[in-house]
Amino acid sequence: MPNQNGKVYGLTILSPIIDDEQVTPSHDLQIRNYLAQLPIDEQSPFALAPGTHLARLVVMDDVIYVGMPACEEHLKSKYLIFESNCDGDLTSYLTGLAATIPEHLNAIWIHCVGYPGTTNLQAFLNYMKSCQIDTTFFFAAVNDKSVPETLRALQTQHAVADFIANHQGTDPTLLQSDFIQLLADLKSMPLQKAGAMAPDRDLKTGGRNE
Amino acid sequence: MSKLNETDIQGFVLRGYNMPFARYLFLRFEDAGRAATFIHRLLGEVTTGQRWDSGKPLSTVNIAFTHLGLSALELPDATLLSFPVEFQQGMKKRAAILGDTGRNAPESWDEIWREDRVHAWLGVNAVSLDALNSRCADMLTLMRDTDGVILLDAQDAAALVIDGVPTTKEHFGFTDGFGNPDYLGVERSSQPGQGKLNSNGTWAPLATGELLLGYADEAGELPVAPVPHILASNGTFMVYRKLHQNLATFRSYLNDHAPFYAGGKEKLAAKFIGRWRDGTPIELSPDQPDPSITQDPARSTNFTFGADPEGVRCPVGAHMRRVNPRDAFGFDGKLINRRRITRRGLPYGVWTPEGESVTDSDERGVIFIALNADFSRQFEFVQQQWINYGNDARLGNEKDLLMGNHTGHGRFVVQGDTTPTNPPFVCSNLPSFVELRGGGYFFLPSITALGMIGMGLVDPR
Amino acid sequence: MSNINGKVYAMNVITPMKPWKTGLLRILFFALWHIKPMQKDLINLSFIEFARWVIVPRRSFPFLAQGQVPEDLQYDYLLFFSNFNGTWNQYIDAFSSVLSRGLNLIWRWSEKFPGSVPITPFKEYIAQVQFDTDYYYTAYPYAAANDLKAAHIVQSSLDQLAAQAQTSTPQQFAEAYLQFVVRVQTHLGNTGEAPVVS
Repeated sequence: MPNQNGKVYGLTILSPIIDDEQVTPSHDLQIRNYLAQLPIDEQSPFALAPGTHLARLVVMDDVIYVGMPACEEHLKSKYLIFESNCDGDLTSYLTGLAATIPEHLNAIWIHCVGYPGTTNLQAFLNYMKSCQIDTTFFFAAVNDKSVPETLRALQTQHAVADFIANHQGTDPTLLQSDFIQLLADLKSMPLQKAGAMAPDRDLKTGGRNE
Repeated sequence: MSKLNETDIQGFVLRGYNMPFARYLFLRFEDAGRAATFIHRLLGEVTTGQRWDSGKPLSTVNIAFTHLGLSALELPDATLLSFPVEFQQGMKKRAAILGDTGRNAPESWDEIWREDRVHAWLGVNAVSLDALNSRCADMLTLMRDTDGVILLDAQDAAALVIDGVPTTKEHFGFTDGFGNPDYLGVERSSQPGQGKLNSNGTWAPLATGELLLGYADEAGELPVAPVPHILASNGTFMVYRKLHQNLATFRSYLNDHAPFYAGGKEKLAAKFIGRWRDGTPIELSPDQPDPSITQDPARSTNFTFGADPEGVRCPVGAHMRRVNPRDAFGFDGKLINRRRITRRGLPYGVWTPEGESVTDSDERGVIFIALNADFSRQFEFVQQQWINYGNDARLGNEKDLLMGNHTGHGRFVVQGDTTPTNPPFVCSNLPSFVELRGGGYFFLPSITALGMIGMGLVDPR
Repeated sequence: MSNINGKVYAMNVITPMKPWKTGLLRILFFALWHIKPMQKDLINLSFIEFARWVIVPRRSFPFLAQGQVPEDLQYDYLLFFSNFNGTWNQYIDAFSSVLSRGLNLIWRWSEKFPGSVPITPFKEYIAQVQFDTDYYYTAYPYAAANDLKAAHIVQSSLDQLAAQAQTSTPQQFAEAYLQFVVRVQTHLGNTGEAPVVS
């Protein structure tokens, strides 16, 4: 099943958003508003919960009319799309989300039809899976590494590049002992936080659509 | 593609004049009508792309306009607004995209470029200083006579004279000017390695529309161009950048690092650029310069990087490999065919041999002039993605060693192997070897278009 | 709302397809999935971290009752989600210049798809059918797909060298270290900020 590519899972969820004329702002706008204020860095809910490489949340308010001679048609519901590229098995990923960031899930999905909340885990899992659409084709540049493994590797790469630059022409005995020290340093180094910009750099995020 | 109408295209577009002296005059239009008269009267002076069958002229004249200049000439709004956005904005406003920040930021440019004053570039090339002076005097007379144009500033440039001979070297000591592409329809002794790569390994000229407006480009369509068509066709866009070279910094950086590199100083210099100082491609001759290659047009640009993915011969980040990656990104080079530019321009300042004392503040560098059909797709892309960023070359955020806007902690990896004279080597704490002193974006119109501008015949839509 | 987070861009595209064409597209994707060499170009393009195509048949939009009105659609829809490095223009330029055949095979079943060459109508089509991302998260905003691959190579090479670091003599170690440096020498680029978007 193309939802899975190696160790990576491609989750696509379309949750119908409640259509209630009595509510202002409308439920879809409330979702957009909440998402606009959600941090995207290491404070992101997806950084706090385990297992997300990349994820997006998109309000799809309608299908798009491509012009004549195609037919014009419209959706009856707006949908919240949750697209996640995550580690491993779907049930444990969703369980991880429910356990770590229930307040965010509830604040977002409360606007969706039939959302049961996270308190009853089984109901939550059933709901999410009932909104899931199977991926038809899933491409992953890297499909055999988990999020922690990737964060670790990025940290290692940075340290190794510095080590090589600083050890040109170093005498073998010192080289070896420094290398052993590097291994120890890497081992004891706390894992960099997911979603954070590189630790020693002041990085801007976001930007405008071109 | 039939032969181009060379009489309608400015000669500067179709060929490097190969003249050792140049003076670039920067003009401002004071009065639209009289400036148009100046252009009209200049028309007979402008050097076209026609072949010099009856011998090379003593000097040449070409002209190009900024968007402000075209606006000062009171071209119709429909025309002014149909130019590509980056030309309308001008180079200064594109500083963030181009990485022209820090010491390269517009605030530290030469005065003429700090404000938006330049309306036109008048390029004079000449075979001798006398011919240059005399042609420039003619230009000034014409400006005085027509009384609508003032001269803001002039920039001299000239081939570096080494041991009494004009050369194609630049101040760091490298032979320059190998890399210009061939284009369909442009009559030029075409050279293997200068166009686009075919999947069978041969080379073919690039589509004309990569250089000239009004012709199909490599994507099979006409480049974005202003209305009316006839104003745009046979014209091109020109980038002008005054690039200051920090010669003292370059020499001391090389001297400080060479002792730690087992390949030796000249080889390290060659690894920086991708060519030995005499121009021999290091990809073809990894161990020493080879004049038999540089002097053979069938070989001097005829190489690819596909067989050297690890950069063992030519480093992955070498300047020449970055700005013209050939097949280095796979897909038979198809990812780069719409990113090529044509180089013009000459050095400024006086050649100082190695061993003589130099300072960074000496006035020397290169007037970098690039021609392309589309600033954003060609020059700006190369500058942003290949000079000041490394992802396409799989070098992360590393910048080009030579041209990159380094902030003191740039890094350049010389890839190698386990042979003693070609070891891997890392150059750290890169300083900025080159700094930007100003420049702008210009439209270099056809002869027909110059006539339309000169006679006020650009129709409002 | 932004489609951009650090070095990645989130693209969402939705196109309508006549239902009878959906089956053909499924067969195509099946072949693409099972014939790995067909994925080679996507891998070699090297600036896509994850991408997926999802066919949503007109009667398969999630329906949860509870007052939701069922959809009544004539078209099936093809959703495309991509996570790529670089700018929108760069991405579509590259797609059009080297993957045009593959793209045409995938999207030719969609209404009004103009073909991926020449590029201007193609870009206009994509711009028309693209919808923006409300929230975009990446665990590695400072790294591109190439940076991730490089990091994994450095990590595995380091792990190999680590295995013999304690037991070899300094001379043996120095030789192994040189081999290690040669192995990782094209994977040492630093990570960081993405270039400014125009």
